[in-house]
Amino acid sequence: MRIQRHFRPALCATMALGMAGTAAAETFRWASVTDPQTMDPHAVNAAPVTSFLNNVYEGLVRRDGDLAIEPSLATAWEPLEGEDGWRFTLREGVTYHDGAEFTAEDVRFSYERAASEESDVRSWFAPVTEFRVVDDYTVEFVTDGPNPLFPESIANFLIMDSGWAETNGAERPSRDAENFATRNANGTGPYVLASRDPGVETRLTPFDGWWGEDRGNVTEGIFTPIGNPSTGLAALLSGEIDFIEPIPIQDVARVENQDGFKVIQGLETRVIMFGFGHDHEALLYSDDVSGENPFTDPQVRLAVAHAIDVDTINRVVMRGTVEPAGQLVPEGISGYSEAHAGRPAYDPEQARALLAEAGYPEGFSFGLKCTNDRYINDEAVCRAAASMLAEVGLDAELTTVPVRNYWEQLRADDYDMYLLGWSPGTFDHEHPIRFLMHTQDDEAKLGSWNFGNFSNDRVDELLPMIQNELDPQARQEMIDEVVAIMQEETAYVPLYTEPLIWAAKENVDLTQRADNFFMLRWVTVE
Amino acid sequence: MAWFLIKRLAQSVLVMVAVAFLAFSLFRFVGDPVSQMTGVETSVEDRERLREELGLNDPFALQFLRFTGDLLQGDFGYSYRTRQPVGEMILDRLPATIELGVVALLISLVVGIPAGIYTALRPKGVTSQSVLLLTLVGVSIPTFVIGIMLIFTFGVWLNWLPTFGRGGTVEIGWWESSLLRPEGWRFLILPALTLGVYQLTLTMRLVRAEMMEVMRSDHIRFATARGVPWRRLHFRHALPNTMIPVITIIGLQFGGVIAFSIVTESVFQWPGMGLLFLESIRFVDIPVMSVYLVVIAFFFVVVNLAVDLLYVAIDPRLRVREAA
Repeated sequence: MRIQRHFRPALCATMALGMAGTAAAETFRWASVTDPQTMDPHAVNAAPVTSFLNNVYEGLVRRDGDLAIEPSLATAWEPLEGEDGWRFTLREGVTYHDGAEFTAEDVRFSYERAASEESDVRSWFAPVTEFRVVDDYTVEFVTDGPNPLFPESIANFLIMDSGWAETNGAERPSRDAENFATRNANGTGPYVLASRDPGVETRLTPFDGWWGEDRGNVTEGIFTPIGNPSTGLAALLSGEIDFIEPIPIQDVARVENQDGFKVIQGLETRVIMFGFGHDHEALLYSDDVSGENPFTDPQVRLAVAHAIDVDTINRVVMRGTVEPAGQLVPEGISGYSEAHAGRPAYDPEQARALLAEAGYPEGFSFGLKCTNDRYINDEAVCRAAASMLAEVGLDAELTTVPVRNYWEQLRADDYDMYLLGWSPGTFDHEHPIRFLMHTQDDEAKLGSWNFGNFSNDRVDELLPMIQNELDPQARQEMIDEVVAIMQEETAYVPLYTEPLIWAAKENVDLTQRADNFFMLRWVTVE
Repeated sequence: MAWFLIKRLAQSVLVMVAVAFLAFSLFRFVGDPVSQMTGVETSVEDRERLREELGLNDPFALQFLRFTGDLLQGDFGYSYRTRQPVGEMILDRLPATIELGVVALLISLVVGIPAGIYTALRPKGVTSQSVLLLTLVGVSIPTFVIGIMLIFTFGVWLNWLPTFGRGGTVEIGWWESSLLRPEGWRFLILPALTLGVYQLTLTMRLVRAEMMEVMRSDHIRFATARGVPWRRLHFRHALPNTMIPVITIIGLQFGGVIAFSIVTESVFQWPGMGLLFLESIRFVDIPVMSVYLVVIAFFFVVVNLAVDLLYVAIDPRLRVREAA
């Protein structure tokens, strides 16, 4: 299912660069739906921005093709002795695109910038209580408790040159008007931002002084946002672009049948699920139930899980591209619970029995809220699920809204049941536990996407312990316990893991990473 | 005349304020800008602070007054999405939209007027009937379908023309033009055709209807009776009378072409104001949406004013009334 093509490493890349003047000049054009809104790595914590900027800027650590952490600007890291936190040993001899040298001072500057009030990535540094520069090539982050996942959690913390930022008045991310770093960049990464026309075209060229070696043969990368999927497909098939992500599921066959093109398909890390208004006193959109909320009964929630046939949704709506899910993270993510790998089977009889037991033998009607432009075929999936629920007497009145209205409505509790997709930003199970399972607590910044406010004392108790546990075995056992609670209570009904569907010309060799990041240095044009 | 102008200008300003007000009051339903501006991990507290900073918690009237006040001082504000100055963003995209609109309009005139005259003079001919049938199809197919069909035919299948974007431009000051190099035209031709098709059919049918009307009028009958040659009759006596209402409608249509280029721009990823507006809706970029709508209102107002003035110039009766 998952096709991973690996780049040809160092030798080939250097050869290509060496011959750049002659026939090997490889211009690579690619397109995606969304233009990165800014070139400032600390201004917006959104995938299109971080993904793009990882080509230009670098972090202390980075993720490889399988999402594992590997050295980048730091060559080594270890827990501090005698106190909680981490020490990073920095790479020597690294220079920025403008020739300035990379030192610990830049890490301090970038930390202060990224943790400032103006930054949108400051939540990464919430556990940090102190930052120390030990010497030019050693830095220490002190945390408020043992934090085994800290290095992983800052994989997208990109380092900016302090001198460059200060010279150009970009010491802080812009909040209102743009600043110099909004449209310009000076990182240590494999590619230099050669030109930028927001919303139209952005060009990258290889950085000759890059410290790394595993880089493909692209001599110029040209990125264009293309919002309309048909236009994007036409641009690929006409040969004007070499690569596009994503393409709609319904176009997969068309690209595969065309000579000279291929589809690169894999699983993303995003799990699609249904959630409930656990703390709602009554249903909002019911014709027959008033003054009570049947979804507060775990039996009713389990009935929902048994009533939905994920295999049929996969076959009919998603054309066989998804993987059924039973937890809030997909298999392969750290902390995935092997002990609770199952999911409730499709069993309408069981669902009816559960509803009868809960006191709703005839079922009831309620409101289901879904997006129509956020996840792949989201509206069709909800429509299919609604008709399956109707089979057991659960009469869902479906409302679909664009994502720009969606979160606001969920935060205003305007739903009885809702659709949600979750991709763990840290690629660890702790992430959805923190955001979706913990009781809402604005002060402590926990449960901020737990719209229905599912609340379980044991989960709240376990989360800080999971965060601080250094022993992997003990940590996994605690995560297993949370998963058991999630499944016993049917806090959410996980449906499936979303696919990643990319398309490229046959002669393009690239690596698809499950977080949908696109790394230009993994591209080789043959 | 001066009084007439002043009166019209005052009305125009009112129209623009009204559009701004309507647009602004609708934005509350477009969505929540703060959710679009922040990542998933941003805390509720930080989100609330951003909302406060942007003034989104202020009462509607205050937000509107602030917007119009800034606008009057020439301050167009900053985009929520890219943080660029909105005035600059719109100005950057303006040439692409204007050139697209003008070329589309020219296509519709150059093809539409002769076709209209021809079908009016030979209403029963096979060619006329087929042209009319074809235009019926042109009117019925939605613009984006026409666009996609053109893209797949000329871009993917024949591989003659680019499928998206704008290239081959030449800079004249701040104005980037597609019109000066053949390469620019290669990018421009498909979107302009797509945008022009609807206008073309409209122009053609209008010219045809007017021409047939005029041909039935008394002065043409008398001229026919006098034995005026056909050529002279059609092009000297009938056509000018046909053109007066046609010019008015076409003038008014130009505002529409600019405003409705949104669909065409989106299908061809044409970097004009319409595409910018669409992107802005997706991100609930209120400052850009507001300014765009005011600019479009401004276009309509200016075109209307020009048409009114043209009327006065063409039709002597209006001048007499104004003088009296």
